[in-house]
Amino acid sequence: MSALALPSVGDAVPPLVRTIALPDMIAYAGATWDWHKLHYDADYLAAKQVPAPVVDGQVFGALLAEALQDWLGPQAFIRTLAFRFKNLVFAGETIRCEGEVTSVEDGVIALDLRVVVVAADGADGVVVKVAAAPCTAEVVARPEGA
Amino acid sequence: MTLLTDPLRARIGETATYTAPEPLGRAAIRYFALAVGDANPLYTDDAAAAAAGLDDVVAPPTLICETNQYVAGRPADAEGYLGHSWHLEVPGTRLVRGGNAYTFHRHVRPTDVVTATWRIADMVERTTGSGQAMLSVVSEASYANQVGDRLADNRETLVFVELKKAAQ
Repeated sequence: MSALALPSVGDAVPPLVRTIALPDMIAYAGATWDWHKLHYDADYLAAKQVPAPVVDGQVFGALLAEALQDWLGPQAFIRTLAFRFKNLVFAGETIRCEGEVTSVEDGVIALDLRVVVVAADGADGVVVKVAAAPCTAEVVARPEGA
Repeated sequence: MTLLTDPLRARIGETATYTAPEPLGRAAIRYFALAVGDANPLYTDDAAAAAAGLDDVVAPPTLICETNQYVAGRPADAEGYLGHSWHLEVPGTRLVRGGNAYTFHRHVRPTDVVTATWRIADMVERTTGSGQAMLSVVSEASYANQVGDRLADNRETLVFVELKKAAQ
């Protein structure tokens, strides 16, 4: 077991890039017990004039947490995570979670994050639209017993 | 147009509580991690959890706020949804998600039996730049386990946006 290594202000979170295809969305719907037709049902979507199955925005929270936990390691404890939705994301689109450290004070790492949709499956992909922003997080060393 | 009617306003402060009928369990944790695509071994591997100083594998932090599995004993609605809902009726609007703000107090273990307590914290009406009325409904959920440990809090904003008038 090692202590939490603190990053520096301005450090970039290693981007997490993920293409979210319909099977991924169905798996997530099952895992979260959310079977809303918005996420998979072609007839329902056509009736609502929605062009394609809509990615459940809650998954962006999970992906932001994954990006932070992977970067900062097993001693890191995400204390807060907040996100605001900007645009719907549709089946087959590729998202990128990214962000920077905005402050490191008293062992609290504060981050400014966002989730964007990129044109191609790659960290250098051009941003097509913003899925969630602003997003923020605070990460600390895991408290005793947590 | 006034969206925030007195009957709606009267519901501020309403609460709803759901207790899972069983412990969260390792399978639910593994399934969520797999579905999200999160291969962190803290969620599935005893040795990795122990090496990190944890007494058990833990759940990905947002699982507890994202799952609807506490709401037991009733079928999904006509749209396939079976999670918590206030069933607010706001005529002439469509519902969009605003966002979430989570606070995590401790990692969730497979042995935790989760109780989620929801409360309508506030309702605020505004007008958008393009002149549409919108009603923001802020709900707060707190999650605890069977021995009263606070696990997480979730502040969720849902927005009812006035439907656009006929094209001008």
